[in-house]
Amino acid sequence: MKTRMYMATLLILLCGAAFGNPPVEKEKSLSVRTFQFKYKDAEKAAAIIKPLMSAEGSMSMQGASNALVVTDHAENMKQIANALAQFDSAAQTFRLSVRLVAAGRGEPGARVPDDLKDVAPNLAMLRFTTFEKLGEAEFEGKEGDAGMLEMQTGYRADFHFGEYDPSSDSIKVSDLRVSRLTGAQRDQLTSLLKTTLNLKLGQTVILGAAKAPQSQRSLMIVVVARR
Amino acid sequence: MISCNAFRANLRPGSSEPELLEHLRHCDACLDHAVGVDPDFLFRSIGGEELVPPGGVEAFTHDVMQQLHVRTTESRLAHRVLSWPRRLAVAATIAAGITGAAVVWQHEQHTFESLPPIAAATPKPVSHMAAAAPLTTKPVVETYDSKNATIVEVPSEGSNDVKVVMIFDDQLPADL
Repeated sequence: MKTRMYMATLLILLCGAAFGNPPVEKEKSLSVRTFQFKYKDAEKAAAIIKPLMSAEGSMSMQGASNALVVTDHAENMKQIANALAQFDSAAQTFRLSVRLVAAGRGEPGARVPDDLKDVAPNLAMLRFTTFEKLGEAEFEGKEGDAGMLEMQTGYRADFHFGEYDPSSDSIKVSDLRVSRLTGAQRDQLTSLLKTTLNLKLGQTVILGAAKAPQSQRSLMIVVVARR
Repeated sequence: MISCNAFRANLRPGSSEPELLEHLRHCDACLDHAVGVDPDFLFRSIGGEELVPPGGVEAFTHDVMQQLHVRTTESRLAHRVLSWPRRLAVAATIAAGITGAAVVWQHEQHTFESLPPIAAATPKPVSHMAAAAPLTTKPVVETYDSKNATIVEVPSEGSNDVKVVMIFDDQLPADL
């Protein structure tokens, strides 16, 4: 009887061992790779790859040679290398189109202008019923370029194209300042808001600005970034 | 009762004369002899119209039926309760099955991991202008110059749907 019990215990232990982690061959080793950048700063590259790194990964910057030493698992290293290869390219050209819309909460049933019908359903969800187009402009420039868009209605947008981030397929639009010419002669420039945006390429972003959620009027900045 | 010599002289296979059977019940030596002639004599020696079991026929029948019930119940229970060797055999079979399945599964995992990636077998030139599949997402509004503002990012169903972000800032002019 004892022999049988020993055999049963041994079998159960074998089962447990079979389910346990196999030994050394399953352990994934870390690899180290140095990336040197020709066009972009290593510091900005570090910010780009940070979301791609594993918990065990690490990196160190070599400022003198504008290089980044990355330590991570092989599978992460592949993604990181791809992202950095796309990142470290000569400045790419992008287009930014901006539409300004005044959205109000007036009487429902007002006619929606044809060129705002693509965004009207999204604004209607926020209980806006009237839409007035305040201007439209488009700018084309490279990463790092400064842009300025002027509308006939007196609105103006100043910004800088930042870096393209391949990991999120987005372009940074830095220091986007929306201002408006005021005064009797329209000679005073009043700043309305200043922000920095991450725009995913091809995605329409509606940035609404209002004093409070219950405000009757909001300024809607409809922006799309494309290559 | 007849004598042993008379019994053995008259004994024939299948005989059922009362004198012969009565002699059988009392003489063990002749019983052995009679069983050698015809084994059925063993049973014939037991029965007889004049034989009554102790306590009467009804008590005997009752005892027999009781024994039958007990044996039937025992045999039923014996089917449900497994003996130790059988339990061990079942446990060993299950354990061997689980172990085998685990070993096969891990072997398959190892096989898949050791396969070379398809991309490595068929390398394609990567253009910097080619759109990369986004691996991460970033907030639309990275910074805003007013600390008192409330920024609300309205969730959208698809990653490429129109994204709506509202900024509520009491420092903004009312006539935006």
